[in-house]
Amino acid sequence: ISELGPSRNYSQYAPYFIEPIFKKEKQEELYKSGEIEKISHVPIRAALNDQTSSVFYDEQVRKFTNYVMEMGKKTLARQLVEKTFENVKRTQLERFNTSPTPELKENIETNPLIIFYRAVENCKPLLQLSPIKRGGVTYQVPVPITEKRSNFLAMKWLIEAAQDKERTVHFPEKLAWELLDASSNQGRVVKKKQELHRQCEANRAYAHYRWS
Amino acid sequence: MQKQVRYGQNRGAMRGTGVLARNARAPQKEPVPFQQLLPLKLKNSVSGKGERTSNVACLQEMAVMFACLKRSEFDQALCSKEITSFQSCYNTSQEQKKAKKELDRSDGPVLGAEARFMGHKKINQLLRKFPQ
Repeated sequence: ISELGPSRNYSQYAPYFIEPIFKKEKQEELYKSGEIEKISHVPIRAALNDQTSSVFYDEQVRKFTNYVMEMGKKTLARQLVEKTFENVKRTQLERFNTSPTPELKENIETNPLIIFYRAVENCKPLLQLSPIKRGGVTYQVPVPITEKRSNFLAMKWLIEAAQDKERTVHFPEKLAWELLDASSNQGRVVKKKQELHRQCEANRAYAHYRWS
Repeated sequence: MQKQVRYGQNRGAMRGTGVLARNARAPQKEPVPFQQLLPLKLKNSVSGKGERTSNVACLQEMAVMFACLKRSEFDQALCSKEITSFQSCYNTSQEQKKAKKELDRSDGPVLGAEARFMGHKKINQLLRKFPQ
């Protein structure tokens, strides 16, 4: 660990430190397969405070909570996300219980995690616009996007759409509605993604201006 | 009468004065006599001039994907094949870039398949180790 202390732009850890494996099942897998021998003498980074070995732990949800968080208020962010999932569950349960036929009931997904995954998947953009200057004119050029950035944009747009609301509506409620809409390929965020795709398609002639 | 000036004779700095000393209107004598202007020796480095091609990757895949999206009114479910081919193309190009960077950093010999990524930087590194 660095002796200079914390620094904003540099990691505390040397490059050879590996990510921690904090989930019980993964640890058991390592022992079974014998992979543990490879990493038994390698220094390991400390797990973050919100990386738990709980059954309910999810990496995507952890990231999402961090994006919801403002001013470092992790507790509040976590409560909001949990309330959002509760609202999703309640809405879906109501739909499930009021739907007349068993066929319709089958199509209703009540697990809020699955709804969350579907929503993020449906909001992921395929490529992004990057401003490139040629001959004094700045063109918006369609450029490929990495998986990580695509994921980030999807979650960020969902949260932004949920923040754009009336005063009387609470954030978890609005976010629950956004997640439900996005999971069924409807709503503002999916529309925003499609608008981006349309713009990229319109600007496809400028794709040659890329340099990598 | 003043003597006619033969152009080129007073310019001592020019190396190819032999050509200018003759009458320019006479036809060229083939074969042209060889003149060593630069030393006949290979340099210990390779120039990187031709290397910086605008190798913009995945334009074809992108065009195909756009055509498919246009047809399907931007419904991604109908275009999954084109989308996956575009993404895999981009991923392979990123991996190649990484491999090239790793090769530049590495110190040892360049094995078989790695020679594809060798740029002028890596070749110059190797040449510097064994200068002539």
